[in-house]
Amino acid sequence: MRVLRSDMSSWKRGKRASHSFWKQSIEALVVFSLCVKISGCSDVDELMSTYPLIDGHNDLALQLRIRHNNCLSQVDLHNLSKVSTDISRFKAGHVQTQMFAVYVLCGAQQKDAVRLTLEQIDVVRRMCTEYQEFELVTSVQELKDSKDNGKIACLISIEGGHSIDSSLPALRMFYQLGVRSMGLTHSCNTPWAESSSNFYPVYKRENNSLTSFGKVVVEEMNRLGMIVDLSHTSWNTSSAVLSHSKAPVIFSHSSSYSICNHSRNVPDNLLLELKKNQGLIMVNLHNTFVSCRDEANISHVADHFDYIRKLIGAESIGIGGDYEGATSFPHGLEDVSKYPALIQELLRRNWTENELAGVLRNNFLRVFEQVERVRDQLSSKLPSEVQIPFEEAHNPCRLILKRPDPRSPSSDQSSGAEEIAVEPHQSCAVLPSGRE
Amino acid sequence: MSETPLIDGHNDLPWQLLSQFNNQLNKVDLNTLANTHTNIPKIKDGRLGAQFWAAYVPCDTQYKDAVRQTLEQIDVIHRMCQKYPEIFMFATSSQDILDAFKMNKTASLIGVEGGHSLDSSLGTLRTMYQLGVRYLTLTHSCNTPWVDNWLVDTGSEPSEHKGLSSFGKQVIAEMNRLGMLIDLAHVSEEVMNQVLTLSKAPVIFSHSSAYTICPHKRNVPDDVLRRVNETKGIVMVNFYNDYVTCSNTASLSDVADHFDHIKKVAGADIIGFGGDYDGVPRVPEGLEDVSKVPNLVAELLKRGWTDEEVKAALGNNLLRVMSEVEKVRNKCTEQPKVPVKTFFHSIHLNQHDSDTSLLI
Repeated sequence: MRVLRSDMSSWKRGKRASHSFWKQSIEALVVFSLCVKISGCSDVDELMSTYPLIDGHNDLALQLRIRHNNCLSQVDLHNLSKVSTDISRFKAGHVQTQMFAVYVLCGAQQKDAVRLTLEQIDVVRRMCTEYQEFELVTSVQELKDSKDNGKIACLISIEGGHSIDSSLPALRMFYQLGVRSMGLTHSCNTPWAESSSNFYPVYKRENNSLTSFGKVVVEEMNRLGMIVDLSHTSWNTSSAVLSHSKAPVIFSHSSSYSICNHSRNVPDNLLLELKKNQGLIMVNLHNTFVSCRDEANISHVADHFDYIRKLIGAESIGIGGDYEGATSFPHGLEDVSKYPALIQELLRRNWTENELAGVLRNNFLRVFEQVERVRDQLSSKLPSEVQIPFEEAHNPCRLILKRPDPRSPSSDQSSGAEEIAVEPHQSCAVLPSGRE
Repeated sequence: MSETPLIDGHNDLPWQLLSQFNNQLNKVDLNTLANTHTNIPKIKDGRLGAQFWAAYVPCDTQYKDAVRQTLEQIDVIHRMCQKYPEIFMFATSSQDILDAFKMNKTASLIGVEGGHSLDSSLGTLRTMYQLGVRYLTLTHSCNTPWVDNWLVDTGSEPSEHKGLSSFGKQVIAEMNRLGMLIDLAHVSEEVMNQVLTLSKAPVIFSHSSAYTICPHKRNVPDDVLRRVNETKGIVMVNFYNDYVTCSNTASLSDVADHFDHIKKVAGADIIGFGGDYDGVPRVPEGLEDVSKVPNLVAELLKRGWTDEEVKAALGNNLLRVMSEVEKVRNKCTEQPKVPVKTFFHSIHLNQHDSDTSLLI
């Protein structure tokens, strides 16, 4: 099937006027007939043209930062080397909407995570406005319109609550910048939610996986209409959120724990809670989460789909490839052009067109619509003014501002500065200050 | 004042909301708030047509949580406008100001006061513009890694950059490209001159007065006033006693002297109002709060200012500057600025390696 797909691709590109044209056309005709005879790959193309993919998670923004320092002028996003994502391959893969993660390292928590997140949001916004193939979208309607306009829609998601520095105003401002989904943790606990990973020894606590402030964060996300994403959170946190959230939630890039018992995957009990919540699990394609080994193939991936469908129904499933955020992908799914191969396998396993339409896009649209409906229902609720108790934030870079002393003489506003309690000085930058 | 909106360049009510109420707007009623220069009845009496609300965080937040705190101040301004929609209309353009005026609302804009709020990041500048910020005061009372503040001119702090660093120049270029007003209140004189040379768009002083009348380093010397005139910018006069008379007390007449002086030296086309209410502890007799500003307008008329000159100072000059800044933005087709030097650092790469497996 892989060989056939690559021949199909070369057939698509083979429109060069030359002596090779006829040769290629005849070859393609042969291949095409074989293809239709064997399993109907034209069905996949047709299916995915009607229901082009909405993918839940891609870390291209991180690669742009690491490799190019967010200098978009240095790259051509139509064709990128050394990564798995670019516009050409999105088109080949029938990707119509991509949720781009504006991830910043956990090491930036208690330092400059907020600023770094703004920079990642900035690069996604620029990318999606500078390329006419992209369109930044912030609502279901805009997403649907972008399909009609033949665009690849960009959604922005935050990957890790450390990006908001325990600040609801920061959450609101991110929403205003277009962020429509937030993963509550990455691989580090926040002061208010727990990660599935123990790698960072921060904010450890017992029996308080989602704190009261964490619940307020979820409530504010519901009020704003921001999708709550539970990938990377601990199972206890996930369970607490599934109880608390008024809107459906997602796992933007996680797979089934029963098929591969990695802590990043979702166990059956949580899947059943997700079903009640009418949420969505967007299956991650990374080898380690698919086969629990360094290698995997499309069949391993499809097993996850089959299993989850059997447990909670196809309407609970989507795809969150995790391209650019992970390093090894199954044979046949090496990059974002290869999604059709996965759909092909599901077709072969007798998934119906309706079920696949759901997996590809309709399930996500349903969830996003419901999140917007909940927002509308909560429209009379005021923005939350809850602040995290200082001792819970426990952040050496967090300044306490005290009331200015009205008796102190000074210049404009500096009366406030003189009375401020300054926390012990520590470097709060991941990168050195004074840089140019 | 019924024909032209009074546009004030700088008000620190958001700072009062933070320092007095921790931004808990639910605990404040701006209709009855008593211990500030600004509240809704006073705004109405003062016929305030448009206000740049300062999103200010103290210099002590630099290298700490300045960015997050600035976002919180931007958020409180948005929420204030949402809470009192019959009074405030959030605005981001010269057209918005005119629209608000027609609806008898106070157009509410945002100015971030101090480059430390950016944490030396053009991405932060751009996203703050996206959040509605329309001016950036390059410094408050501290140097940033890329620009010097006014305290350098007093001798109490050393100059770090002799004005703007090369990154600072990139900030100016990016502000021109975005259409963000460059505010030179609080900067050193060297910065004033460098920016006046560099900027493709007119600049503002959102709350500074005339140095010749009161030789305080927060004020603007005559040669700079003339350059502001040449570049068609604006100096919005600050009412703080210490900058008006260089002493603890002042009167409305003293403030009018600043208006007269700037008109004499550089013309009526560069003058505006930048009261600095709620950011200072001492304001002049006769200008005790924002409701009193019409009395200053009356004084100018009494001193022989023409209607056109007064309307220019009230709002037309600022509208001209803003429109020109918007035009420069519209003409700019270059790529957005990203600093050329990489920020890669050994810590960063190590974290990437260790985090790679955890990215997923």
